[in-house]
Amino acid sequence: MKLSRRTTAATAAALAAIALGAAGCSASGSAAGTADDPITLTVTTFGTMGLDDLYTEYESENPGIKIEATNIDTGGNAKTDWQTKQAAGAGLPDVQAVEEGWLSAVMQVSDQFTDLSDYGAKDISDQWVDWKVKQATDSNGRIIGYGTDIGPEGLCYNSTLFAEAGLPTDRDEVAALFGGDDATWADYFALGEKYHAATGKAWYDQSGFIWNAMVNQQPEGYYTSDGELNIEDNSDLKELWGELAGGAAAGLSSGQTQWDWGKGKAFTDGSFATFVCPGWMLGVVKGQVEAAGGDATTGWDFANVFPGGPANWGGTFLTVPTQSKHPKEAAALAEWLTEAKQQAAAFTVAGTFPSNIEAQSDPAVTGTNDLATFFNDAPLGTILAERSKGVVAQYKGPDDSVIQEQVFGPSALSLDSGTDGQAAWDNAIGLLDQLVVNK
Amino acid sequence: MTATITPQVTSPKPDAAPRPAPKRTFRQRLNRWDVKYSPYAYVAPFFILFGLVGLFPLGYTFVVSLNNWNLLTGPGEWVGLGNFAAELSDPFFWNSLFNTVSIFFLSAVPQLIAAVFIAAVLDQNLRAKTFWRMSVLIPYVVTPVAVTLIFSSAFSEKYGLINNILEAVNLDPVMWKTDVFPSHIAIATMVNWRWTGYNALILLAAMQAVPRDIHESAALDGAGQFRRFFSITLPSIRPTMIFVIITATIGGLQIFTEPKLFNPTVSTPGGNDRQYQTTVLYLWDLAFNRQSFGKASAVAWLLFLLIVLFGVLNFLISRRIASTEARVVKRRSAKALARSRAEAELTSGFVPGVEPQLADHPHHTEENR
Repeated sequence: MKLSRRTTAATAAALAAIALGAAGCSASGSAAGTADDPITLTVTTFGTMGLDDLYTEYESENPGIKIEATNIDTGGNAKTDWQTKQAAGAGLPDVQAVEEGWLSAVMQVSDQFTDLSDYGAKDISDQWVDWKVKQATDSNGRIIGYGTDIGPEGLCYNSTLFAEAGLPTDRDEVAALFGGDDATWADYFALGEKYHAATGKAWYDQSGFIWNAMVNQQPEGYYTSDGELNIEDNSDLKELWGELAGGAAAGLSSGQTQWDWGKGKAFTDGSFATFVCPGWMLGVVKGQVEAAGGDATTGWDFANVFPGGPANWGGTFLTVPTQSKHPKEAAALAEWLTEAKQQAAAFTVAGTFPSNIEAQSDPAVTGTNDLATFFNDAPLGTILAERSKGVVAQYKGPDDSVIQEQVFGPSALSLDSGTDGQAAWDNAIGLLDQLVVNK
Repeated sequence: MTATITPQVTSPKPDAAPRPAPKRTFRQRLNRWDVKYSPYAYVAPFFILFGLVGLFPLGYTFVVSLNNWNLLTGPGEWVGLGNFAAELSDPFFWNSLFNTVSIFFLSAVPQLIAAVFIAAVLDQNLRAKTFWRMSVLIPYVVTPVAVTLIFSSAFSEKYGLINNILEAVNLDPVMWKTDVFPSHIAIATMVNWRWTGYNALILLAAMQAVPRDIHESAALDGAGQFRRFFSITLPSIRPTMIFVIITATIGGLQIFTEPKLFNPTVSTPGGNDRQYQTTVLYLWDLAFNRQSFGKASAVAWLLFLLIVLFGVLNFLISRRIASTEARVVKRRSAKALARSRAEAELTSGFVPGVEPQLADHPHHTEENR
């Protein structure tokens, strides 16, 4: 029954793929790649993962392998890409990067992914932080992904703007200013009001990312650990929403367009002074600032503190879809890319904080690099290792990304344009009923 | 007529002694088959392709729309017309229809007016004719994605070119990506930019086909530029106008790329509050973000029916216009006939062939159009 169902779906989808002209063909199967007749492995990643140089290195170490990499701009677009090809039953790469945010959608069809235990995943599973492996394990105990990065969040701040407002600029003093280990969102907003009073400028870029951080740091987010939807009567979330609405009402939000920021201009023109920074976001900040013509002197720095306690946002896995014609080679590549040395190398390029335990204390992670230079020589690796303590990834339900993007996305945005907190919350609950509960 | 007689002749055949069928050579039979069947083979490629990529997906989409079909996990339970009922009562579906129709009117109307104007200008005796004609077509050559990226940046709210200019002359910036009406105007602008030149060229071709002597005689009668444009050019290009309107309607109802990429960073396709979420974009969101493949298929079918409805409306209107034209021609030719008949009667008193010619006339004009 299950098989025939899949076949019909595949037939339908194959037709769709033809219509879209999107049917990708992978290389013809051959036994083993040689330098003359190499196996081509396709890899799809997204955002800033810092793997580009590693592909070249792997190719030179393994003459029988050629890597064709595709990088998609955001995780959201990568999800659409994966989903379309998954439904079409064709076109997926040999190695597919999967974001934690849509891992739950992947788990709905986990049997469409190669069980990496067949290629030795169980023997190396203790190289990652334990919850990373747990996340990648499906209900039948199959490990379908190797962890790359995790997203412990610290606070990016602009020291130039802090100085103008008469706030301390040294990152240790800033951490203390926000409350150190006991930093709360209330402190964060109170400081923001002080800053706003002194400068008339906004404190953070927009409400969406703040809300995202608030939800992500709860032990349970939109779903309970048992997979029950838990939003409407969730007093913790509602209280945080109230604080967020208060901040926006006090003019602390710059109302920027997320992932756009005026092509980076907002990072250089003093629009806002603080920014929530998971490890991988550091590379994004650098990219935005440089796109707008700024550099290290723009003043961005990274403090070892985060309001509301340890938080994790995102993190990625490398999976091998069963569509791959070379699962063995693909699994080997995924394994190599997630080894300590490679994770450390990716960190130096993109600030993606390793999920590999050994890599977390690698000199390349704790030492200095281009990215650290950009952030005023902040010891990024050391700070992120600190920030990752106490992080536990929460359970993400099947509709988590729809709730995040389509239910709370519009409401968080409406806070920035002056909607009252209660009205925005009610609006979100209305959308929740329509999009998720009664779907 | 022969067709009705033939069976009677052949009907006694079973009773009659079986006459041995004339033995044909293989060549002859091949020849007969060729005459009888090969035309079907010649038209087959179209029908096979249409069946494969047109009819089958249409039918399959309908089957999908009757199920609670998840994009990833496949068909769920059979819900009959439940998906259609759910969509028809979904405010987001109606919102998407409103947006589609609004953007359609904002783009089609100014676009056609501008296209007619440009075509009229190009119809004059300009220097470097080909250069001007090619120039208006250039926007059409640019891919919609590139058009959208450029316009999306120009319409950006905080750092966009247009708002910068508005602020430079002390006007309030317009929230192009947040407010409903400005966002529709912005998207319609992209459509207009791309399609106006294309339509202008089609209309220009029609204008060129208007006989010059009519223009000349009107000019001799003292009709000015404008009078000639409204009384001669416009009525003459009416059939082409109808074609342009129909293609613009179908294109307008299926608009997707422009709203999809207008603000690619937004998490809900078509704006955070679905300000410019068109029906095709809504359909896409249902299928690929919300994984509700069944409902998306239902929306696809509803859209299909809507386009058929618009097509029929267009057909009725255009037939009405065409028949007014035929009536006018008929009246004119009847007058001419009466005159010639009177002349003929003068000469012979018997006019052969006048009646059938008169009866033939409507058909004739129809064909000439």
